[in-house]
Amino acid sequence: MKFSTMLARSARTLAVAALAVPVFAQDPAGGEGQAGGAAGADATKKDEGEWFAVVNGDVYSGTGAVLRGATVLARGGVIRKIGHDLEIPADAKVLDAQGLRIYPGLVALNARGIASRFGGGEFADTFDPYSQNLVLALAAGITTVSDSGVAVKLKRREVKGVVVRERYQSTLSYSSAAPRGKSELDAKFEAAARYLRDYRDWEEQKKTNKDLKEPAARGVDPTIRSILENRSMARFNAANRSDLLGIARLAQKYKFRPIIEGALEGWTVADELGRAGAYAVVVPRARRDKSEELLRDGGSSIENAAILHRSGVQVAIQATSTFIDLGGIAGRDVLHLPIEAGFAVRGGLPEQAAIEGITIVPARILGVEHRIGSIEVGKDCDLILLDGDLLHYQALVQYTVVDGKLVYEKDKELYYAHIRPRPAAQPTDAPEARRDKGEEKPADDDTPTEGGDEKPEGKPAETPEDKPKDGAADEAVDEG
Amino acid sequence: MRLNSLLLSLVPAALASSAFAFDLQAIRVGRAETVSHGVIEHAVVLVEDGRIVAVGPDLPIERGIPVVDRPEWTVMPGLVLPYSRLGLDGRAGADFTPEVSPSPEILPRAEEYEEVLSYGITTLGLYPPGNGVPGQAVAIRPKGETLEEMRIKEGAYLKVYFRADARSKKTVKDAWAKVDEHDEKVAKAKEKWTKDQKGKGAKTEEKKDEAKPDEKKDEKAADAKGADSKAKEFVPPAADPKVKPFLRVRDGKMLPLVSISSAADWAHWLDAIGERKFDFALRVVMQRELDLYEVHDEIVKRKCMLVMEPELSYTTATMRQRNLPAEFANAGNKVVLIPRGEDLASHETWRADVGEMVKNGMKREDALKSMTVHAAALMGLDKDYGTLEKGKVANLLFLNGDPLEPGTKVVAVMLDGAFVHGEVRQ
Amino acid sequence: MVSFAAWTQAHAAYVLAALFALGAGSCAGTRASDVGGAERSQAGTGVVRELAEGEQGFALVVGKLLTVNDNDDVFEPGMLVVRGATIDYVGPVIDLPAGYERFDAPLCFAAPGMIDLHSHVQSSGFGDLNDMVIALNPEYRSSPTVVPGNPSVRRACAGGVTTLFGIPGSGTNNGGFGVLYKTRWDANYEDCVFADPGGMKVAQAYNPERGADLGATRAGMAWNLERANKLALAANRDGRDVFALRNLQKVLARELPLLIHTAGSDACHTTISMWGERYPVRAVLSHGCFDGWRVAPYAARVGMPVNLGPRTFDWRSSMEGQIIGTPQRYEAAGAALISVNTDAPVMPQEELFLQGAMGARLGANSYTMLKACTLNPARSFGLDDRLGSLAPGKHADIVLWRGAPLDPRARVDFVWIEGRLEYDRERDGQRF
Repeated sequence: MKFSTMLARSARTLAVAALAVPVFAQDPAGGEGQAGGAAGADATKKDEGEWFAVVNGDVYSGTGAVLRGATVLARGGVIRKIGHDLEIPADAKVLDAQGLRIYPGLVALNARGIASRFGGGEFADTFDPYSQNLVLALAAGITTVSDSGVAVKLKRREVKGVVVRERYQSTLSYSSAAPRGKSELDAKFEAAARYLRDYRDWEEQKKTNKDLKEPAARGVDPTIRSILENRSMARFNAANRSDLLGIARLAQKYKFRPIIEGALEGWTVADELGRAGAYAVVVPRARRDKSEELLRDGGSSIENAAILHRSGVQVAIQATSTFIDLGGIAGRDVLHLPIEAGFAVRGGLPEQAAIEGITIVPARILGVEHRIGSIEVGKDCDLILLDGDLLHYQALVQYTVVDGKLVYEKDKELYYAHIRPRPAAQPTDAPEARRDKGEEKPADDDTPTEGGDEKPEGKPAETPEDKPKDGAADEAVDEG
Repeated sequence: MRLNSLLLSLVPAALASSAFAFDLQAIRVGRAETVSHGVIEHAVVLVEDGRIVAVGPDLPIERGIPVVDRPEWTVMPGLVLPYSRLGLDGRAGADFTPEVSPSPEILPRAEEYEEVLSYGITTLGLYPPGNGVPGQAVAIRPKGETLEEMRIKEGAYLKVYFRADARSKKTVKDAWAKVDEHDEKVAKAKEKWTKDQKGKGAKTEEKKDEAKPDEKKDEKAADAKGADSKAKEFVPPAADPKVKPFLRVRDGKMLPLVSISSAADWAHWLDAIGERKFDFALRVVMQRELDLYEVHDEIVKRKCMLVMEPELSYTTATMRQRNLPAEFANAGNKVVLIPRGEDLASHETWRADVGEMVKNGMKREDALKSMTVHAAALMGLDKDYGTLEKGKVANLLFLNGDPLEPGTKVVAVMLDGAFVHGEVRQ
Repeated sequence: MVSFAAWTQAHAAYVLAALFALGAGSCAGTRASDVGGAERSQAGTGVVRELAEGEQGFALVVGKLLTVNDNDDVFEPGMLVVRGATIDYVGPVIDLPAGYERFDAPLCFAAPGMIDLHSHVQSSGFGDLNDMVIALNPEYRSSPTVVPGNPSVRRACAGGVTTLFGIPGSGTNNGGFGVLYKTRWDANYEDCVFADPGGMKVAQAYNPERGADLGATRAGMAWNLERANKLALAANRDGRDVFALRNLQKVLARELPLLIHTAGSDACHTTISMWGERYPVRAVLSHGCFDGWRVAPYAARVGMPVNLGPRTFDWRSSMEGQIIGTPQRYEAAGAALISVNTDAPVMPQEELFLQGAMGARLGANSYTMLKACTLNPARSFGLDDRLGSLAPGKHADIVLWRGAPLDPRARVDFVWIEGRLEYDRERDGQRF
């Protein structure tokens, strides 16, 4: 029994390792999802706890699938079932999502002032589960943040288990602005790669020659070694084309997947970054004028995210400001991640990729994609419920669920309750009953005429409800 | 103790304006705020040997007993201020010195003591300052020539300064880990002792409770066995001085007073102490915005005593005013209100400031208790202090009106049965 | 240099033509949608004329035409006909006379070019804002600071913003006079500036507070402004021409509009009482942020237009615990004309639409917010005879959006300014 478990475990480790090495040169969408092999383990561990169900909502799972009027059923904070006609245990807490859309909780990278007042780690000891910033983040749909590289779950009224994963990124610098550091890093990679090669050779040869000495690990940079062994990820801050190219080539040579923050001129070298299997953390609205001295492409581009995505780079989206800004300027801070993602769509990024850029891609960058980033069985039940399209500028989060617990209810908190309050909930029919009555919308209901909310109906000022609808961008852009 | 108070009452007799010659004396006033039994009109308080021997309406007074007859006065128990640094210098304590007492810092006859006594504060709890666990508080009477004359009780409570940070949590966790270590040491020693006893061939009547050491049980067992078996009695190894205070906390002999400043501190404090079960009190510094309402229910469920300033606060980021002391008192928690600041003026307006809380929704009864019996309870002194009841120490505060009204003045103060302030004629 | 008056004369012909067209009754049934959202106006406005020798004209056919006119006409699909620099026809698709080029953009929304009344990017960045020597500078003008077609202006164009009021900063109580100019891509000064002075800039409070000088307090600043007004009024009464007061005199004679930097309920109140009631000039309250929304009913009662931004919400100053959308409060109070601004470069000039979007996010009506970027600022400054909506006789400042204009996802595909194609996404590369 014990033996077989061990076998199974080592088999899984092998599988993960096997995936990790060769996958990145290929289709990034294909190999990635499986990194969550551990999800099952988590799920079995939590085979108890409270039941929680969200019913009647349209589930936008984050994987591209949409289930209308479906149920998400969770227990102990983990999603157990998703679908129609699910049997809901009598003691389950049930949230009616009629008329709402359900998305996975958003993941905000490099967020500041949310996981703790002061930042800088030790979140397990400093996390404020009652802070205003926490509630505001939940109101903005954010359920996980990274601060100082640590993935922190935004639990409310709880401090246990908020750290989902400790920092496992190593920040490196590889810039032509610092040529010496660049050549030093080259040398470190070379040394570490040589050592690993020697080690593998030794492992192979010692089968026949038992006296062969193990190669010395002395002088091998532990950080670089951990990167090459896929135990940590290399993270770079780079904006310039030349630096990005350098990183891309370094990564291709030593076969690791770099995380590149900024990547402002990434669109000019997107192919190389794509071949390197890079992750890019971009601010779609980041702005820098092209240097007039150069003839070639340069500077920022609103199309950056889209071009990177087309080249196979996994694009995560970060807001213009990583702080919560309550000073009055709207639409730029971490509370407006979907707005920022909207700007990536403006530049041509498909909407699905834009949503992934604020959910599953950052989850991968944090190494928590087995738990976070999409609505899937076995994952943490972190959901946000909106009164419309997530990327629409008028859609507001109505409910936020973290680990299968309702932690934010718009109409019951001061912040946004006064804005477009929803009519009091009425007893709703089960989804099948709605279908029988012919009320269920067909899946492709998005008719072009619905496009703009700018559509003035009679006297616009009298429009009772200014409800967000699918943006016209949906239809208008998809013409191919 | 008794002797001590008698001695004490002789000293102020010379200082105070009133003559003090009789053991038994009667005080007849218009009104008595007993704190324990409501208000008594036309009250008589009989005092003997520094203690209250009777309180009641229109009690008959035997001839020959000196009487202070002031129908315009109101009497209440002397005020107890359990959280103070009066008369001490501002030296900060170390991070983890639970064994320390501020007593050596005390300067007897400091002007501040005389001053606050005239405001009616008859008992003070002085604490050592500092982060982490700086030490234990000492309860004193604010009058005396020497520390011994002033001191009522050492180890009144254990001061803990806790904030949601790694250092605070580590301090607490380490402290309790040392308690566990000590317990293990005791268990091992006991095991060894038991073996030795068996080895000597003595008949062992050891019960099978070798699972966990329990000091109380050991003590009881020792009593039961009587004198003849004493020689063979197990003597547990002495605890480290830094561990001892926590053993007292664990055994319910001393309350820790945990200073927090937010709901987050509360959450991390609970996380730090884990499953351990012991009573603790909270020191909450009132601020303009204090989010303690977020954990109101949890604090109520744990029945924590709270030490706060009599101040209103606001729901975070709003102009919505709230009376947190009243919210907790109304929910049944013992709330101790202390002067708003460390300056003497705040001590003088203390009663009136507490009165403000009553105007904003606190029950009058809770307000009076907050300055007297609850404050005494924090220091484990509520058996002797804080109410007008038979048997309690005769610390009395005489006023010319309602104690909670700002215009009301102190007319006399009695400490341990002797008038120490005010013009008193019999 | 083209003065305001000269410009008006130059364009009088177009205005007259439009008036004639209306008078001739050649357009019927202009009302569009008061019967409900589903039914659309069948008839357009304006007339399409034969092109004269040397005249250029073109027509745009779009999926959805948001005229933003007073009838809130929407045409789906819709046609715009431009002759020279002005719009001749707006309405359903009709046949065109010979010589007109026709562009078909069935996936696009057409909307008027957006107008920002509070902008400082005329000099490309934050330079040349205030001359900080004295508190009152009614003789100053921003026109010497204009750098036509600078990068900020180009991006603004690519974001659908076609008209800017480039003004001095708020470092002094009276900063001087701003210029009204178009965000032409390649242009010289004469091509882009169409009104200099375009209007006056006053900073009521919340920045022009000076050190130990007169004007350290609200009281001192208000006195300074009042005194200048009194002097200018006296000069007007006496028929005197005082060099330093010449433009201020025009403001007080209601010949020029006035934009007032003000914020908070305190300063906003002073602003409305001073410039809305005691000196009834053509004043626009700008910013109105922090808890300035508290005076919204007063602004509505006096009828003072408000120009909100770059802060579009308040939380901290109000202490209500709510995220309060400033435009929503002004709208709810019935403020006459609500426009939004970016205070660029405080917010990027091209993100003017986002100010509208954020206003709508926090509770204002999204159509009101579209107007707040187009017709309302034009009307606030008395420019609505030329700008702010797609209507015959008005400047052909037209933006084609791929989606609803307030949606961050909707990119701008084409921008025409006065009939000239300034930005073509495919040709120029997507700039925003």
